[in-house]
Amino acid sequence: MWDGIIIGGGLAGLLAGIRASERGKRILIISEGVGSLTYSSGALDFGDVEQLQNREKHPYALLGEAPVRAGMDYLQMLFPNYQGTWGVTQDLLTPLGSPRKASLVPSGQNAEALQDAQQIVLMAPEGMKDFFPELIKTNLEKAYPQCIVYIHPFRVSAFESWYALGKSVTGMEYARYWQSKPGLEALKRVLYCMTQIFFPNQESIKNKKSVIIFPGLAATFSDPLKEVLSKAGLPVIEMTSFPPSASGHNLYCALKQKFKSLGGELLAGTGVQRIESQGKLCGKAIVRSKGRFTAFSARSFILATGGIFGGGIEVTAEAAQETVLGLPLYVPAEWTKSEFLGEQPYARMGIEVDSELRPINSRDKEVIFENLRVVGRMLAHWDPWSENCGGGVSLATGWFAGEKL
Amino acid sequence: MSFVQEKAENLDACIKCSACTAMCPVAAVNPLFPGPKILGPDAERFRLEGLQLGTTLLNYCSKCKTCEITCPSGVKVTEMITRAQEDAQMSGAGKTLQLRVRDHLLGRAEYLGKLATIWPNLTNALLRVPLFRKFLEQILGISSEAPLPAYKQKFKGSGPGRQSKKQVVFFPGCFVTYNDALTGQAIIKVLEHNGFEVIVPPFHCCGTPLEGNGLVREAKEIVQKNLALMSPYTQAGVPVITGCTSCGLALREYPSPAMSGAEHHELQTYDLFEFLWELHERNELREDFKEIQISLGYHASCHLKAQGIGTPSVRLLRLIPGVQVVDLDQGCCGLSGSYGFKKEKYVTAMQIGNPLFNRVRRGAANGEFQTVTTECGGCQVQISHGSGLKTEHPVWVLMQAYGLN
Repeated sequence: MWDGIIIGGGLAGLLAGIRASERGKRILIISEGVGSLTYSSGALDFGDVEQLQNREKHPYALLGEAPVRAGMDYLQMLFPNYQGTWGVTQDLLTPLGSPRKASLVPSGQNAEALQDAQQIVLMAPEGMKDFFPELIKTNLEKAYPQCIVYIHPFRVSAFESWYALGKSVTGMEYARYWQSKPGLEALKRVLYCMTQIFFPNQESIKNKKSVIIFPGLAATFSDPLKEVLSKAGLPVIEMTSFPPSASGHNLYCALKQKFKSLGGELLAGTGVQRIESQGKLCGKAIVRSKGRFTAFSARSFILATGGIFGGGIEVTAEAAQETVLGLPLYVPAEWTKSEFLGEQPYARMGIEVDSELRPINSRDKEVIFENLRVVGRMLAHWDPWSENCGGGVSLATGWFAGEKL
Repeated sequence: MSFVQEKAENLDACIKCSACTAMCPVAAVNPLFPGPKILGPDAERFRLEGLQLGTTLLNYCSKCKTCEITCPSGVKVTEMITRAQEDAQMSGAGKTLQLRVRDHLLGRAEYLGKLATIWPNLTNALLRVPLFRKFLEQILGISSEAPLPAYKQKFKGSGPGRQSKKQVVFFPGCFVTYNDALTGQAIIKVLEHNGFEVIVPPFHCCGTPLEGNGLVREAKEIVQKNLALMSPYTQAGVPVITGCTSCGLALREYPSPAMSGAEHHELQTYDLFEFLWELHERNELREDFKEIQISLGYHASCHLKAQGIGTPSVRLLRLIPGVQVVDLDQGCCGLSGSYGFKKEKYVTAMQIGNPLFNRVRRGAANGEFQTVTTECGGCQVQISHGSGLKTEHPVWVLMQAYGLN
């Protein structure tokens, strides 16, 4: 018998698992894959909390401000290298080199230094996948017109066989290499060569405010890497990347490691087929093990299976269905709008809950399961794209569910 | 659903996110390997049109199944690659004579074991002669540096053990039978201690080494032989238990015997610790454990992860007073059955295992744990080889806690 079973091992599920384990609960997380953090930039958006709190049925409105703040503080407490201040957003760079804002940012991605920079050196690792230095240069020049942007192409001997084969190196592969012992040494050499070219003497560093932009690098969870970068003598800004992303992946690994170190168990690679319940209480999660179902009993459950992308909601041409318990979903009358990048109503699809995050019937608002809480993307009435609050809702609801379990 | 349709649907489930390749231990260290996404779902489109890849690239897949566990969309990547190997084999593409002979030998762990255990001391002495190992490398392509496990006196089952109405069948597997009879006896003692009569029919190899070496037809034949030996017991509802995670995964993937009548016949095979945990959940496990002051680093083998049952040994060992378990969580050890024994793959296998070896060395050096434990015999051999730290099956901790050794 577990104290809690969490279905789904993404940002919200893992955070709930960490908080509950920290409170001494025995927790099992059952996760279909590795969650979608590996597709994310690693930076976390909270959106305009004050405004969203007033939006009827929005998760922020259900919880109120305190849990949203607590979610933000808690992540920073777990990982002090994540920086953020309530109500203040920071600049970071998209994979195309244009600036954007986010609330909680891995320290290396903070791009504030570009505001008063005069000179930018864009590091351009040979053969890096989905990396377009010329385009980035153009975007940087547009966003920071006071800057001169130089591109510094370089090769890394460890990847010579990749180059020879014409095989591209993903940002994740570069990022992983820089964290290794030979990688750290290579990085020192790469930075040294760059300095020799652009800043041959101390004067040239002092005279102009210069910044290095480095794609395929994720130093947040690596102290040796941070040390090498701190000795560069100039601010080094990491870029976010297209999926799969090293920063998002590192956040996933750090959360997973934290959860396991608190005694939690993570069962990854398979999903929950159904939940056995009695009346208003969930009792057992029936897991699709290889060749047979395995039953795991718990006192409380958290549903963190993600939305349509995460597989928690299955959509066909006719209907949308919650995949584990068949819970009723809020489904907007009109699913899509013609403007491709505009707001899309289907994004608000999800489970309606009460202020304790328990699923409710839309008709009479009656709680369906007393010991089940719904967190993260699976909740109804919010849109991570138009409201920029994906990380915030996951952290706030995850923290809250972990606190209450 | 027809087979072809299912195949196509599983293929369409791939959204090309590359999470599998990003997590693939082989792709991370070997640039020649295009990774699971390309060899699996990408190439599958061509295969459906009748275009085959040669086996050389396909054979670099170590069958660790990390891609399947990682995939957020449930694509059966390893399954696709295995099927493609099988098809390519039939079309005759691929291996040199030397590698064909080598793979026929390594696939037959059972015959090798029988031969080697006629006079185990002679075999071991021979395997320690560097010149002989060079000869094996030159003639058969078996790496002279690979940690070939020593052969022991053959495992002979339980002898006249305990008689009981509560019966279980024990599937020892080749590692216990030819390399580690003592662990086999320990498993029997633990089960007997819990009141079971342990039956050991003359099983053959589970078939995994054959499949891993591309001998899929031979694997299917051996599966039928084992099923025939198992069926009188499974029909009577006697569970089949194995302590080896690769055998365990194979048994879970065995075709379910066609049963007469409409009666639902559930799979009866269990991992040892999965079985013991279920006893614990039903309050049927003897828990008169002696306190043992020990801290262990635990490595979950890839084939345990692929079973989708979590890490039952960690749960169980944590019930023993004084036992501390640290989940190492560093991915694949690299050996993957006989993959790491092959001369062209030895280096790759060691590179794959490096993060794990480093973690083990670090943990042992800073006093986090004293020894390493993992169910898989192959992982035990590889971890000892790579890190120098003693690595044993977790049943030995239970033996000590029960006061049985």
